[in-house]
Formats: sequence, C-alpha cells, structure tokens
Amino acid sequence: MLTDAYPTTLYPFRFRRLAPDNIVAVSETGDHIFLNDSTLSDLVHRFANFSAPQIAELKSKFFLGPPGGTPGLRRLISSRIAAKHETVLSGPSLHIIVPTLQCAHSCRYCQVSRALDDEGHTMSMDDLDAACDTIFESRAQALTVEFQGGDPLLRFDLIRHAIERIQTRNIGEQRHLRFVVTSTLHQLTEEMCQFFKAHKVYLSTSIDGPEELHNRNRPLPGKDGYERTLKGMSLARRIIGVDAVAALVTVTRNSLEYAETIVDQYVDLKLHDIFLRPLSNYGFAVKNAHALSYSHAEFAAFYAQAFERVIYWNRQGYPLREVGASIALNKVLSTHDGGYVDLQSPSGAGLAAIVYNYDGFIYPSDEARMLAEMGDFGLRLGKIGQPLAQVLKSPVQRDLIQASLGRYVPGCDECAYRTYCGPDPVNTYGRFGTTRAPIYLTDHCQRQMWLFDYLFQKLHGEDEDFLNLAFEWAKPNGG
Amino acid sequence: MRKVHARSLGIGDRTVMRVIPLGELSHEWTPELQYLVPVADAQDAQELRQLCTGGLHNLYPLLSESLWETSWQNNAVVGDVTLLEAGDVVVSQPHRNEIQVQYRPSDDHHAIFLTNRCNSYCLMCSQPPTPQDDSWLVGEAIEILRHILPSPAVIGMTGGEPLLLGPKLREVFDITAELHPTSRIDLLTNGRLLANPDCVKQLLGQLRANVCWLVPLYGHADFLHDFVVQSHGAFHETLAGLLNLQSYEQAIQLRIVLIEPVLEILPQLCAFIGRNLPFVREVAIMGCEPIGFALANRAQCEMDLGNWHSELLAGISALDRAGIPCILMNTPLCTLPSALWRYAHRSISDWKRVYVGECEQCLVKDACGGLFAWQEKGWRPGAIVPIREVMTT
Repeated sequence: MLTDAYPTTLYPFRFRRLAPDNIVAVSETGDHIFLNDSTLSDLVHRFANFSAPQIAELKSKFFLGPPGGTPGLRRLISSRIAAKHETVLSGPSLHIIVPTLQCAHSCRYCQVSRALDDEGHTMSMDDLDAACDTIFESRAQALTVEFQGGDPLLRFDLIRHAIERIQTRNIGEQRHLRFVVTSTLHQLTEEMCQFFKAHKVYLSTSIDGPEELHNRNRPLPGKDGYERTLKGMSLARRIIGVDAVAALVTVTRNSLEYAETIVDQYVDLKLHDIFLRPLSNYGFAVKNAHALSYSHAEFAAFYAQAFERVIYWNRQGYPLREVGASIALNKVLSTHDGGYVDLQSPSGAGLAAIVYNYDGFIYPSDEARMLAEMGDFGLRLGKIGQPLAQVLKSPVQRDLIQASLGRYVPGCDECAYRTYCGPDPVNTYGRFGTTRAPIYLTDHCQRQMWLFDYLFQKLHGEDEDFLNLAFEWAKPNGG
Repeated sequence: MRKVHARSLGIGDRTVMRVIPLGELSHEWTPELQYLVPVADAQDAQELRQLCTGGLHNLYPLLSESLWETSWQNNAVVGDVTLLEAGDVVVSQPHRNEIQVQYRPSDDHHAIFLTNRCNSYCLMCSQPPTPQDDSWLVGEAIEILRHILPSPAVIGMTGGEPLLLGPKLREVFDITAELHPTSRIDLLTNGRLLANPDCVKQLLGQLRANVCWLVPLYGHADFLHDFVVQSHGAFHETLAGLLNLQSYEQAIQLRIVLIEPVLEILPQLCAFIGRNLPFVREVAIMGCEPIGFALANRAQCEMDLGNWHSELLAGISALDRAGIPCILMNTPLCTLPSALWRYAHRSISDWKRVYVGECEQCLVKDACGGLFAWQEKGWRPGAIVPIREVMTT
C-alpha cells in the first residue's frame, strides 16, 4: 500500500459525543473530525486498517503523523498552536475607560450605574490622563480604546479630552488606533458626531428588541428609552456613516418568547451584527434573579431559535452575523485568532483587556469592576498610574493566569473543546468567591459547552450554505 | 522558447546578444555587452563597418543572405531580419543553424532557464530533468539578465530545480536586484532545499530582490505528495521550506497541477492549505501540459476536466472560505463550470497559445486562455465546445 513506507503513530486528541452515534474529535492544532463509536475505536486501536484517503485526512489534521514528527511538521504544529494564543501573548489590546457611572436609566439588571445627580462616581482628570498614557505601555500594535459607563456621553468632555490626548501621543507612537463609545446614545448631539467622525470613533449601544421589550428592560422616567436610542442611532448614521453604530441584545426573562421578533427587529434597523448576550449572574441581576433570570436550558432554547432566524435572514440574502457564534466559529474554523477577549487560555482578562475605572483602580475586566461595585475589591489589579508591567505582574493577575490555563484546570484538561475555549476566572470568582472552583460547574462552562456542541452539530450537517456562512463569520475580521 | 532559423558565422556557440537598431547604438552601447544589429542595406553595412573598425568589437550584423554576400562576408548572423525585434535577447547556436530568442520585450511572459537538474521526478514534469552538470546555464542566464533592457515587470525563472544552484542562485537574485530593481522574479521551485536553515539564510538573508516563490503542492499528506513528485520525504521538506519562506516574509504562490491523483484529493488539499498555509498569497490550479513525462504517464495525466467539476468547485470553495485568492490556469472556459470562469486566467504565453476550429464560434473566446500549441498534437484538457450562450446571474 502507498502508505507502507511511512511509519505512523497516533498524536494526542480529545473527543466528545454530540449525539448517540456522532462524536467530534479535536487534535492539538484545533482541527476536527467527526467519528462514530466504531471509527473512534479503530482510530485508537487499529488505525493501520484505515483506507489511504482516511489516513490522509487524519494526517492532514494531525491526528496521525510520523513518530517524533519532522522538522517541517514540528514547526507547522507549533505555529498552529501559537496562533491560537496570539491575542493574549501580544499585550493588552482592548483598553476600557470608565469615565463615569452616571446614567439616566435605572435598569433592573444593571450592576453599576448611578443617578445623574451623583457627583461621586466620575474619574478625576489626573487619573484620566494617567490611563491614556498607560495604554501606550502595551506592546500591542493595534489598540482599541473603549469608553463605558454608566453612560459615558454624559461626560463627553472627558471622552473628548482622552481621545485628543491619545491621538496626540500617537503621532509619535504610530499605533493602529480604534475608539468605541458604549452608550444609550440619548445624549448624542451633532457636535459629538462631528468629533467622532473626525477621530474614527464607533458607537456601541444596546437594543434589546422591539420597543415594548426594550423599554421594559431599560426603564426611564419618560418611558421613551427605545425611541431616544433610535434617534441617536439615525443621527450617528447620518453624520458618521452607515456603519457607525453596533448594537447588542441583553437577554432577560422577558426576552425569551421573542427570539424571532428580536432578530427581525435588527433586520428592520438595517443592522448586520447581532450579539445575543445572556445576563451575568451577579450584580443587581442576582438580586433580581427571580424576576429577570432564567435557566441555562431556557437560554439555549431561546438562542437556538434566534440563531435559526439569523440563518433564515442570511438565506434570504440579508447578511446578519451573530457575534457570540462568530467568536466560537473563529476558534474552530480559522487558523488565526480573531482577537476577541473571550474564550482565551490563559484568560484575556488583564492580558488582552484592561479596565481603567472611575474609582482610580485598574481591573481585569468589566465584570471585575462590577464586582467592586458590589463591594468585592478582590480583583483589583492596581491603581491607575502604576506602570502596566507592574499591574500585569500583580498577585491578582498571576492568579487569573494560573487559574485559566486550560491544560491544568480539572475539567478543561480533558475537554474536547480545550483548544477553542478557556476558563473564565472572573466569572468563577463572581460565582464562588475564588478563581479555583470547579470550572465545569460554572455558567460559563455550561454555556460554552452547549454552544460548541450546537455549532458542531450544525457543521456536521454539511449544508454548503451554512458552511460558507460559518467560514465567513470565522474570519478574524468577522467577515 | 522561440527559435529562429539563422546561420551564425564566425560567432562563438551560445553568444548572448541584444538586438539593437543601428540608430540606438550611440546612446546605449557599453563594452560589456554583445549587440546584434539589423542591417537593411549596403549603407547600413557601411556604417556598421566603420563602427567595427573604429574599435567596437562587440557588434554583429544581422542581415540577409544576399546582403551578406554583397556587403559583409565576415562574422554575422545571416537570416530573416524581420523575425527579430529590437530589444530581443538572443543566443547563437551555430551548429544548429538557429538562434534562440531568450527574451522579447513585447511578450507578456518572460522566462529564464536556470538549470535542467532536479531533485524531484514529478509524474507530469514538462521539462524532464537531466543529471549532467549544466552549471554553464546559470552563467548564460546571468548574461541574459545583463542584456535585458528595459526591465520587465516580471521575470520568470525556472528549471529544473533552481535551488540546486546554491550560492549561484543568490548571485542571480543580486544581479537582478542591481540591474532590474523594479522587476519581480517569479521563481519556480519545489522548495525542498529551503528546509535547510543554512540554505535559507544564505539565500534570503538581506535579500534585495523581489521574489515570488512558485511552489507546487500535490497532497495534504506526505505519501500523496511524495508519490506525485516521486521522491520520499519531499512533502515534509516542502512544508518546512514554505514555513521558512514565511518567516522571511517572502511572497508565495502555491501551484497545483491537475493530474488524476491530485484531482482525487483536490478539496482536501485546498482545505489543508487554508488551515495550515493561510499566509500564501495565491494558489494557482493548473491544467496539465501534454509534454515531457506527462506523455509517458498518460493514464494519470490525461484528464477530461469535464469529469471533475465537483472536485474543482469544492477545492476552490475551500480556498474561498479560507480567504486565499485562487486562479485557474491552462483551463479553457468550456472545460470549466461557468461558476469558475471568474477564476480562469489567460496564462498561456502568447507564443504558445492557440485556439482550435471549435473556438471560432465561441462567444467567450476573447476571455479564454485557449490551449497550448502542443495540445493540438497531444490531448486536450477536456472537450472543447463553443460556448453559444452566456448565462448571467
């Protein structure tokens, strides 16, 4: 046989059952194959019995190979593995500045926001300047600076000051900069839009679905939150450009029966990205859990229904991308990491993203600063103004890294999806009060396992149109 | 390459010369090059003779038989003056009564031949290798490079396997960078010797020449590729070579020739490229030329592409999904599904390209790359059928 002159051995892989006779197996490079009980057993015990095309397929996905490899193969496999860690190994690229916690809304699930007349929850000018300077201590060539709140547009003066300071510094630095402002857009004015257009600032907002649902989730005294966000969006599109605004959905208990309506609403609004985000399980959302929360199974049913609707619109010729699925598909189908902070191992919290909070402290993620708002300061990395290198060497950061190396975390070590995923130590901490809790009992793990299972079953269906879409979403630039 | 019937009289074997009109000699002449000057009449001959007797020893006339007899009777190339163009770089072959046109400025494609030796033995090799030492070829290639003017956008360089030249290949690169700084070199190589880090460093360290590496890949597993190139270990060497090229930020075009063992696995091969070699600039998928070893291995090389549309569509779809640009070469449009027409490239060099009788009634002939001249004698890449209706979607 053609393969006889080629000594071959089994390389490491992990697997998971998707359905009674459908198993997905994943090699160290992140390549996957679908097996059944019989072919899985053959692979482990007697792969020499496979046909030449089967052996070629298994070799090309690094389930089989020459014992000890070859120089070319060793380089290829190590570069494939390294490519999966590009995002966390090249310095923090997402820098979140929280200039103020002020917000006009009083959302029931929000962890952090404070009323408009609350003066105590705004960043000092000295801290703002120091945060802007610290950003450039990152080695990352591409830097995204995101302003969150509260509603940061309530302090446009601080945003303008920060962007101008960063741009000035960048004349010498020549980094590739991108700015994002996350806001309700209620306070957006023409003048702000002109400024954002001049400085290539993108806007990110929340649209939870149809007006009634959105306003129920996000109460305002005037009951006109939805209308005002849409007004802001059309102003931004008119002045900045059609792609000026991205939106995401926070899924509450109220949303569950509106899966298709929510997706349709995004099509009506001519949006091409939709991000269906489950509630975090802490913050005020925990306090109001009974009214707002839902089981994982309920979310999964909602997501699957919404996802099908997204696929439906793509088949109709309307490009619409679900961001959560795109992040997962990027891990599965693309050689190059998409640069998302999520699903990294070690965790992107701190290594890829960093938060400069109004309170003068640095946190590893949005969730971490929200925990601080609840009185738990255990995830503070340091004070704004400290050198970034020092912050990233802090005991808290070291712990986050150690706790999120999937290879060494019980449950993750043997998981088929380990090359695609990573424990979320901040989520674990929020839930258990320590980063070293059993990962496989976290919501993060449950959700991601379910999502990977779901997407692999879709990929196994081998519908060519779906595969085209999946590969498009998987591209590092998000298609 | 083109060959022109002509007698080289009193001119050494394999003398490299640039064809230059008499009137341009005064501002282009340098003592290092050899010039072939078309002579139309006795007056031209008289003028040229004056230049020669004045000390310009590197000029040879190109003239007709009758003019040679009446006006020259000395060292010359004797033949049909109209078959050569100004700027042609030619090589004399006195014992064959012909001269080779190694370079013609008006051509779309230019190729320089560096060696006939090779370390692979591909089933469909269009230029079967010879084992003899032919190191004189690279010397001639350098001479040809020195005679080329003006610099073309792209200079193709081919073999044999050019990497066997070792340091001499670096010399070719450096001379090209010096004399033709704006030209890109398209180097056809199997990349195997680039697995050796010393070779890579010597060849690529501080390289000034702009090289695009055209590297064939015929399988997604070792035993598949090695079978096509008939060399055990070649797959892993080529992979290492490609990764070394990437680490030096070199441009790479992968090449896939459509013979039977390759068509059978084309979708998997393209998916492998997408996952593992996404850094390549382009993948060229090409029909097999019925020439060289392909004639001997006809059973595996004579393919009717019409029978392989699903493999072609799936392979190109895999490259599309990975975002890797792809072109189809040597594939007449009528042998492809129309969904793939947009990938088809008019790749056959002008002087090798032909159309056949069926093409005369074809609506898309002008967009089609046609056939190799030798496909008229050998076999065709599929049924040649005039396209009479173009569906637009």
